[in-house]
Amino acid sequence: MIPRYFQIMAGVLLMLILILGTYMTYLRHREQALKPQAASEVPAAPPVTGRQERIRMLVAYDDDQALRWRDTVAFMPADRGLRARVALRSVLAQYSQTPSPHPLGHGADIKDVYLISDDTLVVDTTAEFADGHPSGILLEELTLTSLIETLAANVPGVNKVKFLVNGQERETLAGHADLMSFYQSSAIHELAKEFE
Amino acid sequence: MRPRVSTLSLLLAAILWLAGARGSVGAAWPRQEPAEALTEARPQPEFLVIVDASHGGDDQGATLSGNLREKDLTLALARSLKVELEERGVSVHMVRESDVNVSLERRAEVANEARPNLYVALHVGQPGQGARVYAPALSPSTAGKEPFLPWESAQMASIEQSKSAARIVTAEMRKTGMSVRQMTTPLRPLNNVTAPAIAVEWATGSQGPKPQQTQKLEDALASSIAAGIVQVRHQIGARQ
Repeated sequence: MIPRYFQIMAGVLLMLILILGTYMTYLRHREQALKPQAASEVPAAPPVTGRQERIRMLVAYDDDQALRWRDTVAFMPADRGLRARVALRSVLAQYSQTPSPHPLGHGADIKDVYLISDDTLVVDTTAEFADGHPSGILLEELTLTSLIETLAANVPGVNKVKFLVNGQERETLAGHADLMSFYQSSAIHELAKEFE
Repeated sequence: MRPRVSTLSLLLAAILWLAGARGSVGAAWPRQEPAEALTEARPQPEFLVIVDASHGGDDQGATLSGNLREKDLTLALARSLKVELEERGVSVHMVRESDVNVSLERRAEVANEARPNLYVALHVGQPGQGARVYAPALSPSTAGKEPFLPWESAQMASIEQSKSAARIVTAEMRKTGMSVRQMTTPLRPLNNVTAPAIAVEWATGSQGPKPQQTQKLEDALASSIAAGIVQVRHQIGARQ
């Protein structure tokens, strides 16, 4: 016969285990939510091949409705297509920080960059880049201007840029900015002056 | 008597010819008349504005604070603008008058078919507070030198008028004390519209408009845009 006080104590201990277990699960979920995105979901680190170079990035700041030049250092390959990808991912890395100066959707990344002629680049983005992009004329314009100006600054000779989303043409980025046209670097350069 | 009749006929013909020539010279180099005299003496020619409440139907546009949706605010703003413009004697055609799907291509088609004096796309978005007036951003190198304008640069023929319209509307809206920024944008479908085209974005601020203030703000914004469009009519002119 198990004494009554022992039964009560065992019951209390079981209750405590259950409560603590639930609380620990809750804490673990909360920690995961607060943690930066998993490595597979954030822009990948620049490739290790190449020479270490200073990259100039035009970074968007939503609060100020402005674009500002910032510098970072990364390994830049000699290949122009790869250079473009590294430069673009460096900008996206700025936007995936917490707090972000210009938040983009979860999983926004560059899938590939195609140099289709000496002066024309096609940038293929992930679906999340467009699907999760905040909608608004100014916000979308800031993103495109930031990326195209960064390309022009780091990949000499690029005059025309077009964006694809997951390998497909899309009418707009998030309901506003045109993604059907080829963007002229010179025209975007003029546009960027409005955000200085 | 006969030579006298022929002389008179010749004289009459000469007078008629002179009168005709004066008329054609007058048409080629019109006299400078003050704008006020023109408006008082002659009836105003029709000035047609296409008001495009952006988004609608499945396309909700931006989701703003307080569960406000861009598509609903643009429609309400478009309705207010229509009333304000019609009160000022401006003809208005709305691209949509209810919560329906209208593709971007169709919006440009509607505008191009109507051959308006001005196309105005209405948007609501973040960040900031006040309003932004946009002219189309069109690269000069995309200008068509072919006999047919490419769809992507159909705006090219009107780009200068669009920039002027954006400048005039911005100046007029600023007179109300509103914070208004003038910019250019690669917004669809501005570049597909053959007429002068602008977009106005109402920046509602991070908190969004309070429900009781929304109507008041909409009306004030619509009134200032309408005042700007009337100035565009005066300065750029009505349809020929």
